[in-house]
Amino acid sequence: MTPLELSVLALIVGAAFATAALKSVLNSVVAFGAYSLSIAIIWVFLRAPDVGLTEAAVGAGIMTVLFLLTIVKTAHPDVERTFERIDLKAAGVALALVLVLSSTLFALPAVGDANSAVADDEVTEYYLENAYGETDVKNAVTAVLAAYRGFDTMGEAAVVYSAGVGLLVVLNREVFG
Amino acid sequence: MSDSERRVARGGPYVGSPIIMATVRVVMPFVFTFGLFVMFHGADSSGGGFQGGVIVGTVVLMLGIAFGIETTRDWIGTRLPVALIGLGMLAFLFTGIGSVLLGAGFLEYAVYGDLGIPHASKYGIEFVELAIGLIVAGIVTGLFFAIAAGTKGGESA
Repeated sequence: MTPLELSVLALIVGAAFATAALKSVLNSVVAFGAYSLSIAIIWVFLRAPDVGLTEAAVGAGIMTVLFLLTIVKTAHPDVERTFERIDLKAAGVALALVLVLSSTLFALPAVGDANSAVADDEVTEYYLENAYGETDVKNAVTAVLAAYRGFDTMGEAAVVYSAGVGLLVVLNREVFG
Repeated sequence: MSDSERRVARGGPYVGSPIIMATVRVVMPFVFTFGLFVMFHGADSSGGGFQGGVIVGTVVLMLGIAFGIETTRDWIGTRLPVALIGLGMLAFLFTGIGSVLLGAGFLEYAVYGDLGIPHASKYGIEFVELAIGLIVAGIVTGLFFAIAAGTKGGESA
């Protein structure tokens, strides 16, 4: 692991703690934006630029603006302290959850492991060999998403559609109705 | 809460700074072009409909922050984002149903080559990415307007 990756990782953990511990909501939103942006950088390090682009655009961009818009309309009392008083019970539950989730880490292959199922699986090899010939598309990720797994992507679009329309109906009724 | 803070809270997020207005005016066409590029070029490099749609939606957010959300909403209209969402979803659906009508599987783009479209699967994929982009851009702008409109409603909203 290079020093650059290490420092980005440290930034992620720091920003995550800051998001949870900062008392002022505005500060938390800014820390959350920094967290999303550093996660996006990590995705690029892990050779997943498509996911990184999504994280940067949605997590760091749109979400921050929507959060800021929302807290503008709330009353924000003067904050006398910078950090939240830490609730030990809640911190214990969070720590336990992190430990349980970390136990799955050992089951994952190392990053870039040539023998992992991700790299030498039949399905992966089929996509990498035939994606360009069959779909005329150079980006194998897009070929899988839109052509081989087009039906799944349509389901995803339908989920986004229904969630968005449902939210708009509810919010507009709250505001105008 | 002091008087000045109350005024800021009532007036919403709009500050009307000439610096922001000038910057947005210059940057906006480039961001819009970049969003379309990410949408269309998702076939050959990283990107795609979801990412491109968000970037195109960002253009409206920038306009709202620079020139006032109310003004932008009056200019764009509240119906257009919803119409875009529906249009994108229908375009995606009919691309799939069209290939079934032409005798192939659902969303099997290659069959559109029979209609004389060159590189049918490539353009089919790009068309679907554009449809996804419409859905996402519409939802981003619609949510932005809906959440911002809540500031008018006073304490109860």
